[in-house]
Amino acid sequence: MFQQLLFAAVVSGALYALVALGLNLVYGSLRLLNIAHGDLVMIGAYTAFWSFTLLGISPVVSLATTTVLCAAFGFLVYVVLLKRQLGSPALAQRLEANSLIIFYGLSVILQNGASLAFSATSRGYQFLDGVHSFAGVSATGSMLLLLGVAAAITLGALAFLRFHVAGWSLLAVIERKDAAAVVGVNVERVQMISICAGFAIAGVAGVLVSMTQQITPFMGFPFTIAAFVVVIMGGLGNIAAGIAAGFVLGFVETFGVALTSATYRSILIYGIFVGVLLLRPQGLFGKAVQAR
Amino acid sequence: MTGKPFLIAAFAVVAGLLALVPQLGSEYWLGVAFIVAMWIALIQSWSLLSATTGYISLGHAVFYGIGAYVLVVSLDWMSVPYALALSGAAAGLLALVVGLPVLRVKGPYFVILTFGFAELVKNLVMLLETRLGQFSRMIFDAPSLEALYYAMLALAVIATALAAWTAQSRFGRGLAAIRENEVAAEAIGVPVTRLKLFAFVASAIIPGIVGGLLVLRTSYFAADQAFDPAVSFTIVTTAIVGGLGRVSGPLLGTLFLVILSELLWARFPQAYMMILGALLIVFILFVPQGLAGLVGRGLKR
Repeated sequence: MFQQLLFAAVVSGALYALVALGLNLVYGSLRLLNIAHGDLVMIGAYTAFWSFTLLGISPVVSLATTTVLCAAFGFLVYVVLLKRQLGSPALAQRLEANSLIIFYGLSVILQNGASLAFSATSRGYQFLDGVHSFAGVSATGSMLLLLGVAAAITLGALAFLRFHVAGWSLLAVIERKDAAAVVGVNVERVQMISICAGFAIAGVAGVLVSMTQQITPFMGFPFTIAAFVVVIMGGLGNIAAGIAAGFVLGFVETFGVALTSATYRSILIYGIFVGVLLLRPQGLFGKAVQAR
Repeated sequence: MTGKPFLIAAFAVVAGLLALVPQLGSEYWLGVAFIVAMWIALIQSWSLLSATTGYISLGHAVFYGIGAYVLVVSLDWMSVPYALALSGAAAGLLALVVGLPVLRVKGPYFVILTFGFAELVKNLVMLLETRLGQFSRMIFDAPSLEALYYAMLALAVIATALAAWTAQSRFGRGLAAIRENEVAAEAIGVPVTRLKLFAFVASAIIPGIVGGLLVLRTSYFAADQAFDPAVSFTIVTTAIVGGLGRVSGPLLGTLFLVILSELLWARFPQAYMMILGALLIVFILFVPQGLAGLVGRGLKR
């Protein structure tokens, strides 16, 4: 029983870490709070669902198509909505303050667009649903795939930030945009790539979610909230701590619900959310980046 | 054209016209006017804190919800006017209690904190109701729609007058100083914390009473509906579309959105929401001064 819970906690922790990673990238490098982040998870999930049910394309392939699709969407949002505004300092400051509202608008459009196109019915499909048992844990193949992909992406992101020179540019932009520009980092380019990567990661997470859960046009919002909780716990803009915080939330949620009951789930999540913001707005593990 | 007497006259005419709506004898139009007055009251109250100080609250549904809950519970013990007063007092008290810690948090953190706080309270009330074995509550023999409408209209007028008074008062200038530069404001002796807390409490009381009135109108209370975050979002959307920082903004925003929703909501709910989302983006990016700003510029020309 304990092993099973532990496994469930690790799976949901990995998923939270992955979803939050994308949100954190966008906040870190652009200082924009993307409240539509969970809706990209929804887009990814529907891409995988329709590819599988209509065209018989494996979700593993959809991981790639979704990456391209969501990155392209990120690029579009960047060019159409954000680029001109980020260009001038005065507009950029206003944009930061208003990003929540812009992305809320986007979120409403995506949710209702999906609901109009696909109806609000919840949908699901079966993929890799054979059960494997080991060490007192029963897991479906899809869960293991989720875990593997999430681990690969989060570890890959950490390694990229640690070892690759482009990763250092990203860290520099997250830390201090103006100073990064002075030492020759192409800030605009880093921001553009960050938003594409952030959107793509959310899409990939959506493909993974669609293999293990029912999907609906309005499934994104809980992911947005979870991602916000994780990112706040880790400290806004702090990529590595955010990944750790994803697992913290997975554990707290899984064990908290197991010890009490499912009715406490939302109270637990929002309680952590409010508590951390009030008591440690810089995050549990260290320093968040300056909101500027 | 834009002098103060002109504005006061314009508001008086609007309020007068709204006061005549019950004479039409149409239940439908009375319902629409009730909703118009409701949003005006909510948005003017919200503006008192958020438009003036720049502390954007995305959690005003919590005050509205608490007002609704207190009303439906207290109606067992007292008559409607007292219960409504209690609704407003409860919302103000909640703001007073959470105000100090919450208002220390700034910028985007404040926005998401207010949202998270509202959701937390919603879930706590839902848990409490489940524990009490209540899934929803009904109200019997509520006052007539006409009476409720006059009460709501009074709230809208009071909230608008409060916003107009604040705009030109010492209090309002203090709040504007907080918006422009809080640290500098504090340095030159503006009692920042006290002003913010006062604005927060003031912006909570009327939404509390509004929540109570709406429950009387629907005769039905369920926690997830009373604390619906869509209320918070609609307040912010309408305020921005109308134009922040002008007393006429909430009026124009409300009229615009109520007309849009009457035309589209019943037949094309998703399309309505998508248009709303698109409007929000367009206004934030390209028309930051809102409808009130557009109209103001049009009048000057």
